[in-house]
Amino acid sequence: MWTRKAIIYVGLGVILVLFAPFINNLQLFLLGTTILAFVAVHSLVNTRPIEVKITRSFNDDQVFENSSVSIDLVVQNKGRSVGFLEIYDNLPSEVEVQSGLNHSVIRLRKNETVINQYLLDCRLRGQFRLGNPRLRIYNPSFLFYYESEIESKSSLVVLPQIEEIEGVDLATDFPKMYQGAMPIRRIGTSGEFYGIREYFPGDDFKNINWRVFGRTRKLMVNQFEREDISDIMIVLDAREITGTGTILRNPLNYSCKAAASLVNFFLRTRNRVGLITYGESVNVISPDTGERHLYKILTALAEVKAKGSLGLHTILGDLRNFTPRSPVMVISTLENDKTSATALREITARGFKLTVIAPDTLDYDRDSRIISPTVYFTASASLDNKITEARSLGARAMRWNPDSVLSTSLAEVIR
Amino acid sequence: MRTSNTLAIMQSVATLSLMLSLSFAYLINPLEESLFFNALDSFSNSLYNSNVINELNTSIIAGILIGLFLGTTNILLSSSKKVYDYVFIAIISFFILIFFGYVFGADWIPYEPLQQLLFWVFIGLPVSTGMVGIWQDKIGNQVISAFLILAMPLGLSGNTNDHIYPILGFVFSYMLFLELSYGHARYSRLARVMAYSKEYEAVLVWFLTMLMVTLAFTMILTSLAFLFHDMLGSLLPYSFSNSIEYNTIYGQALSVLVFFMLWSVIQILFSRGYLARQVED
Repeated sequence: MWTRKAIIYVGLGVILVLFAPFINNLQLFLLGTTILAFVAVHSLVNTRPIEVKITRSFNDDQVFENSSVSIDLVVQNKGRSVGFLEIYDNLPSEVEVQSGLNHSVIRLRKNETVINQYLLDCRLRGQFRLGNPRLRIYNPSFLFYYESEIESKSSLVVLPQIEEIEGVDLATDFPKMYQGAMPIRRIGTSGEFYGIREYFPGDDFKNINWRVFGRTRKLMVNQFEREDISDIMIVLDAREITGTGTILRNPLNYSCKAAASLVNFFLRTRNRVGLITYGESVNVISPDTGERHLYKILTALAEVKAKGSLGLHTILGDLRNFTPRSPVMVISTLENDKTSATALREITARGFKLTVIAPDTLDYDRDSRIISPTVYFTASASLDNKITEARSLGARAMRWNPDSVLSTSLAEVIR
Repeated sequence: MRTSNTLAIMQSVATLSLMLSLSFAYLINPLEESLFFNALDSFSNSLYNSNVINELNTSIIAGILIGLFLGTTNILLSSSKKVYDYVFIAIISFFILIFFGYVFGADWIPYEPLQQLLFWVFIGLPVSTGMVGIWQDKIGNQVISAFLILAMPLGLSGNTNDHIYPILGFVFSYMLFLELSYGHARYSRLARVMAYSKEYEAVLVWFLTMLMVTLAFTMILTSLAFLFHDMLGSLLPYSFSNSIEYNTIYGQALSVLVFFMLWSVIQILFSRGYLARQVED
């Protein structure tokens, strides 16, 4: 491709060569000829095809929100030496270059390999596509350039940030004795010793602690830990309205963060966790355990986008097959959802242990002038009403300020 | 060598080339024959009713030095917008003073030295404009300066092979000025993006090396284009090659254009086209 400079040079050269004879001016004539010759010579410099291979590698397979990932862009020259090679790595707008450059100009000698390293700041969860790196070759005097793209697409999944949850008893009141049972610090019938208490009529004789009886002359019985596992279903609101706010600070992002933290907590304590998202459509991940399942849910959370306007009632059908009386945690602002009250009532009526977490970004939205004070007041009052309504149904409901620690907020509502 | 040093050397050499090309231009075309200064002479004659310019010193060196001084002052002053504006107003007032001093015959205004100074400013105008272009990376100023170098000394008497060495000197220094000033503007911008890295330094060195090599090849190709005229003469019918038209600069111009036309046709035919290919192992 010709640059503007080359076109101007050729135009000027031709004009000078044609104009100079009219004033018998050898100086201009020679200058015109030289300019044309200069362009002609440059059409041979750094303009032949190049053969390069570009590969991209990440330093970490799992990237979490608000963390960095280092990218190595390896450029291998398999052909002739290239004097001026401009490389631009095509990045999605959601990630930022923290250090280094995704745009570089290099000189690439024959069979040389150059590694361009840069650090990406991933501040937003999501599945991003890193496009083909673009190459541009200029000849030394910027007269000709050639552009092309090298096939090297990569996808980068930024998983939602996980917050450690500790000291919160979120387990069910109705444990089930399934395979893979886990001990919880409650009195039960497993082999793990919990403590001793006084004997009451009806207690099993085999549980009497005879050693204590010999010492104290009182009948005492041993207590054992109860073993159980829970099926926990997390319901995530991904309606379009949850995307209100800035690209980083909106209810959906905070909901995903909360969901990821809860899933991590429950799976770490060997429970079975499932996920239902609703918005444009209802997507269900059935309850399961293990690290693979954690990443399955985290990946699903990374891909969630604020779309659609399906109400909470749309998930009721999927809860039908869910283990009865298990905990259901709804993470939603419940805003603009006329079906929410009925749906919450239905969930509690079926005996599920309901917890509602409503991420509240209203303060931030008002301070950032995304919403007016009037809208703030109305929305805040509406949210309060929804929370009160949920509580009246026996649910544990809370307005969660995303700037506060989730486990602290949960502890307050669960105590 | 550090990148910033290399870039500064590029600017210095470009400034030197600019001054040299202007000197060569006036060496080839005497100032007295310049259409521009003839026009200026006519204008001042009608304005002052006196042959002002003919009485002034026409030293090119002095003009270039004044241009160098003004260019440098401009660059230094532009760091502060306020100071720049004040100095600019002062200079304009200074020249208005000359005009009114002369018109009203105010003896207390030394208008003759001031007129001399103004005349040198005109001579050195391409240098002062070009310097701003080179040192502040303003492409517009570079273009204006390049145009003024060509246009201001231009006369109607023309020039011939007698001036071949100054002409070659002019062409070389002019090309060097254009390439280094434009190259600096582009590469310094890239240097900022690339944070003056080591990789970037290698590209810059490659540019400078290639510039020298290509300029040398350009001179060879220019000679070939000239020789092509003779070769074409031997190939063309006798009546055509011996015609008056063919043996003047018009014929030479046409031969040069035919030469480059053939060059482009050959290049199109043999060009493999560009495609950056990804190579599989």
